[in-house]
Amino acid sequence: MQAEPSQLEPSSPIPSAVEPKTLSLPPLVSSILRSLFTLLIALWMGALVMWVSGKDPLQAYQALLTTSLGSRTAVANSLLAATPILFTAMAAAVAFRAGIFNVGAEGSLYLGGFAAAWVGFTFTDLPAWLIIPLSFLAAGLVGGLWCYFPAVLRSRLQVDELVTTILLNYVAILFTEYLVNGPFLVPGVANAMSPQIAPAARLPRLLPPSQLNASFLLALAAALAMIYLMTRSKLGYEIRMVGDNPQFARWSGIQVAGVIEKVMVIGGILGGLAGAGQVMGVHYRFIAGFSSGLAFTGMTVALLVRNSPVGALLAALLFGMLRSGSATMEIMTDVPRDLIRVLEATIIFFAAIEFGSLVWRRRRER
Amino acid sequence: MSYLLMQSITKTFPGVIANDEVDLSVERGSIHALLGENGAGKSTLMRILYGMYIPDHGRILLNEQEIRIPNPRAAIRLGIGMVHQEFQLVPSLTVAENIALGYEPRRNGLVDRKTQRLQIEEILARFGFSLPLDKPIAELPVGIQQQVEIIKLLFRKAELLILDEPTSVLTPQEVESLFKVLQTLREQGKTIIYITHKLREVKILCETATILRRGKVVGRVKVADASEKELANLMVGEQVIDQVFPRSQGVGQERLTLKEVSALDDRGVPALKNVSFSLRAGEIVGIAGVQGSGQSELVEAISGLRPVKGEIWLNGRRITRASPRRRREIGLAVIPEKRKEQGLNLSTHILENVVSTRYYKPPFSGWLTLFTRPAERFAARVIAEYNVAAPGVKSMVKNLSGGNQQKVIAGREMIDQPEVLIAAYPTRGLDVGAAQFVREAMVKRRDQGGAILLISADLDELFAVSDRLLILYEGRIVAEKRPDETAFEEVGLYMTGHLHAG
Repeated sequence: MQAEPSQLEPSSPIPSAVEPKTLSLPPLVSSILRSLFTLLIALWMGALVMWVSGKDPLQAYQALLTTSLGSRTAVANSLLAATPILFTAMAAAVAFRAGIFNVGAEGSLYLGGFAAAWVGFTFTDLPAWLIIPLSFLAAGLVGGLWCYFPAVLRSRLQVDELVTTILLNYVAILFTEYLVNGPFLVPGVANAMSPQIAPAARLPRLLPPSQLNASFLLALAAALAMIYLMTRSKLGYEIRMVGDNPQFARWSGIQVAGVIEKVMVIGGILGGLAGAGQVMGVHYRFIAGFSSGLAFTGMTVALLVRNSPVGALLAALLFGMLRSGSATMEIMTDVPRDLIRVLEATIIFFAAIEFGSLVWRRRRER
Repeated sequence: MSYLLMQSITKTFPGVIANDEVDLSVERGSIHALLGENGAGKSTLMRILYGMYIPDHGRILLNEQEIRIPNPRAAIRLGIGMVHQEFQLVPSLTVAENIALGYEPRRNGLVDRKTQRLQIEEILARFGFSLPLDKPIAELPVGIQQQVEIIKLLFRKAELLILDEPTSVLTPQEVESLFKVLQTLREQGKTIIYITHKLREVKILCETATILRRGKVVGRVKVADASEKELANLMVGEQVIDQVFPRSQGVGQERLTLKEVSALDDRGVPALKNVSFSLRAGEIVGIAGVQGSGQSELVEAISGLRPVKGEIWLNGRRITRASPRRRREIGLAVIPEKRKEQGLNLSTHILENVVSTRYYKPPFSGWLTLFTRPAERFAARVIAEYNVAAPGVKSMVKNLSGGNQQKVIAGREMIDQPEVLIAAYPTRGLDVGAAQFVREAMVKRRDQGGAILLISADLDELFAVSDRLLILYEGRIVAEKRPDETAFEEVGLYMTGHLHAG
């Protein structure tokens, strides 16, 4: 037995299976309440910021609501904004649930996006039914592979995945920037971007004039697949056990290293698909620096819902709403769209308290 | 008049009356035993005294004055201190820093290290301790850490010391020195409340005892006037069965064989040195040794969690480099040493805890999906066959008592009748009933032809259930004895390195 600086933790339990707490809610309910509470605080903080700068918070929130849900196009645009966040939120939720702090989805998003674009502007003769799956396949493959390296470093050599994936993100972002400035430079275009992908590789629009496209359906399918994975599958069980108590998992015969690798590769694949969706559904080409932290928004979502896969699905849709609504709100009420950043930052602030204690505990266990 | 008087203390938790009109009276300068099985309400009563719980009603009198103890800080101010089972020490700080932590003498707002040092040394001298004051806690054995805890209380000027099952983490030698320490404290006029369920310790150490059963006081005795048997009967409410089990009826073929197995510990120091033995069907082999003799490394080596030199054979197959899961598939089961860290996932319920070693194969899952029904049936079977007191298969394991938690682990590991079972300290911290249950389960498994390696710190237990005893000392097996042909004293001498084989 090791000396632990543990607090006054009951060491000899009460003679019953009943928890000696007066108030105890089912974990799911308390989890939902906590997420809603965080969200409420965030909205309140946002209101405070607006009020201090002389804007009318109620009016702004009203505008936000109507511009994100007020019409068919508004809804479509919200879903469009939610599409990449769905992918990245799931990537983060799955990794965090295993106790793995994989930040590499952003790098995978860039590399996957570029891979999809490359397929799209290289094999221009292929029909749509072939080139679209091929592009996604390439994106998923490249994205997954990109996270496989830090995964192996983590699982075999105990190299901290948080550090390696953050650093590798820069490598991926700068490498794709180099690609569109060097080997794939389009003459006569001022911005760093690749050639356009073939028309056949463009994803069909779902509700024109909105840019909402078929990648939303893929994102939804991926999210549902992840929900299934986390709640019903063998791998999901392994992920939860490793995340709760890696020692227990190891003693039970679960291959902890394998689970960690799978989780990180899944994150990479989802990141790659997110990038491909943006390239093939919105930009029709690869543009350097196009993501502006979509993977980090995904992490915020995962933190907000405490890694619940169902929660991540709902919260990603909500974030899409906020993102899409904020642009129009800016025009209508002259509240800058950065307000949404205030909301997101507040959420991160609260989630970080819990997240930080989790990281600390995890580091200690290693 | 008594030094401490607790009158009609009642404390209820939802669904449980932990203390029901409990009276306790303790004389100054005595060691008073608070005796009872796990869950009898001892810890609750002491936590009330230490200010961790507020009683529903009842009075506490110290020195004939009624007191209120809203929190531990108040208890300390009143001269009441408690040594918990889980030590409250900072591993990276030194002994001296731990002793003074939070109560450092100050000068001009800064910690006055010189005075602090003098004060500590004065206490050490007065009570005849010698402690390495400048060593970090993490480097010291458990017995010394416990002494640090006691000095810490003395530094805070405690007059009444509460010790919660202090010997449960100690080796026999450390127990001896703890007893000496406590006797010295008594001579110096300190009052001690000694929580335990070990009768032998009560007989050696205590003048008076209060016996609790299911939250009620069932007896107050002068220890000198009561026999161990009487105390035991009061405690458990019925005659304790004599502990020795029938020995093996005959052994079969070799199930587990270690050949010249060596391993390093976490710091890279050799922990197992050329260990060779074999375990046969139908026998229980006990591993005796003082704590830290290589037991943990031995269990990990056999389980596949620690790389080894040498060879390990399981059921006729060489498994030296096989994965933990592969070993389990060819007949190994393990009850790990640390129940809460290694044996259970406290964040989830019984169901997910009992399927952890078999969820990946039919009928529990297909190639992708985990099925709920078979897991539910299996968990229900474990609960029924191993008498786990729990409302259902979805009960969180962190809400179960230690005994029931251990039954969950034992059920998971033993219900499928593994050919080889490694049981590391399977009864540690359990009450008499639960410990007896686990021992019976092991003996039953042996009689069905199972091979069991039992690692234990409890010599009584090793003598009671083992067919053979291997004694581990500094990573070597120094002796093999039959429990019926040896005695505690001899085994103790081997354990401490005073006797060598051959």
